[in-house]
Amino acid sequence: MFEMFEYDFMQRAFIAGIIIAILASISGTFIVLRRYSLIGETLAHSALLGVAIGLVAEYNPLWSAVVFALISAWLVEYLRSAFSIYSDAILAILLSGSLALAIILVSLGGAFNNSLFSYLFGSILSVSSEDIVVISIFGAISLVILLLFSKEFYFIAYDEEIAKTSGVKVNLLNFLLVSIVAVIIALSIRVVGSLLISALMIIPTIAALQFRVGFLKTVLFSLVIALSSVISGMTLSFYFSLPSGATIVMCVLCIFILSLVINKR
Amino acid sequence: MKFSVPIFDVKNLSFVVKEQNILSNISFEIFSSEYIAIIGPNGGGKTTLIRMLLGLETPTSGEVKIYGKKLSDFKEWHKIGYVPQRASHVDSSFPASVLDIVNMGRTSQRKLFSPLSKKDKELVRDAMVKMDILDLAEKMVGTLSGGQRQRVMIARALASKPEILILDEPNTGVDVASQKRFYALLSKLNKEDGITIVFITHDIGVIADDIARLFTINQKAIICNNPKQTLSCEEMSSLYGIDAHLLHNHKHEH
Repeated sequence: MFEMFEYDFMQRAFIAGIIIAILASISGTFIVLRRYSLIGETLAHSALLGVAIGLVAEYNPLWSAVVFALISAWLVEYLRSAFSIYSDAILAILLSGSLALAIILVSLGGAFNNSLFSYLFGSILSVSSEDIVVISIFGAISLVILLLFSKEFYFIAYDEEIAKTSGVKVNLLNFLLVSIVAVIIALSIRVVGSLLISALMIIPTIAALQFRVGFLKTVLFSLVIALSSVISGMTLSFYFSLPSGATIVMCVLCIFILSLVINKR
Repeated sequence: MKFSVPIFDVKNLSFVVKEQNILSNISFEIFSSEYIAIIGPNGGGKTTLIRMLLGLETPTSGEVKIYGKKLSDFKEWHKIGYVPQRASHVDSSFPASVLDIVNMGRTSQRKLFSPLSKKDKELVRDAMVKMDILDLAEKMVGTLSGGQRQRVMIARALASKPEILILDEPNTGVDVASQKRFYALLSKLNKEDGITIVFITHDIGVIADDIARLFTINQKAIICNNPKQTLSCEEMSSLYGIDAHLLHNHKHEH
């Protein structure tokens, strides 16, 4: 079972995977409770645009993914507050816009190759030591902010207007939350892939919600579900030569179905 | 008037949406320890007025001052407890125990980087004792009855130690016995704790003996300083429509 850890790339993949599982599940709880589940999908496609630019410019795509996911997150929040457009419509527009631009750029730059594929679907083979450093630093910062403001994020998720009239700085914290989510998604697409990362953010929380427990327990359940999915998904991926991102998502889906069955009324 | 600095000082407030006047030229003051009921027909602008007091809507013209300050300069929001209409309709899948919800009342006042302090926890407990929900602390809000949820929402507002409670019909969908208990609690908060109460309601007859002033809002405002005597059926009818007769009769029945 542990022979897979004899390989350096598997060690790196597990470290990256565990950090991503922690970040995706905790931030995902707030996103799901705010009924903002689709933002993960949109930011992942914006991150892909960043990757495309990084690949064409021959620059580390992880950095450009972070920058573009952040710009997209801010744009979503700005458009949501400044114009009367439905939130889900804004997310859909930015999602398709980012993807279209990414495809054009990659075609023009001739970078439509395996490298882009690894960002689309995730590849544990592609996680470098430099990636681990970047994921660890940004991951630690994101986690600290999430934990520090967890009560405020929870209050806003419960009722934005009551939070506002209680003196919580709602607009600022909304920007902060989407920024953290953007960074987490950009960091995660290496392992899980841009098409699948939002599943790792959303499904563990939805599964945890089936148990109908308080907030703290919901976060903990979601964390355990995400960690189990990533660990089992990567192990299966290694032994059966399956794509890592898709296997992780299938594992989280199985746990979700299990949670539905256990909590059936 | 025995009070000096008003909590709310509203001058010539108007709200227009798509060239339709929702509220026109409304002025009033709300003083400390008052119990004010706001009535009016649905769509008459009651909720819009409350939302403008809280800075959730921007008036087309006019000004709201809160504790003598402009809304944009006001920082002590913990002094205001707001319970909106939707409060008792909690999404049953939202992961919140009663304690989780009441703790939110302390969220905006806790120091950055620190969990709830001993004092915060005491205030949360006090609010729960006052609303008689201490034994429900670990229950999920989604499993409670309408009346219980209503008390949880008020406890959440009370946990911030507010000087004024603003309630927008939080009693819709609550049974009659719970409503009576709720009105008694509001009266107690006003009389014993000196909390100013602004209460949008349709049940004016039941609380007529508790309230100090009555605001009738239907695009314009009629402020009635002695609601027990001066509000004639005719005055009410002109603003409130047919409901006024029902309300008036209802009032005499109690």
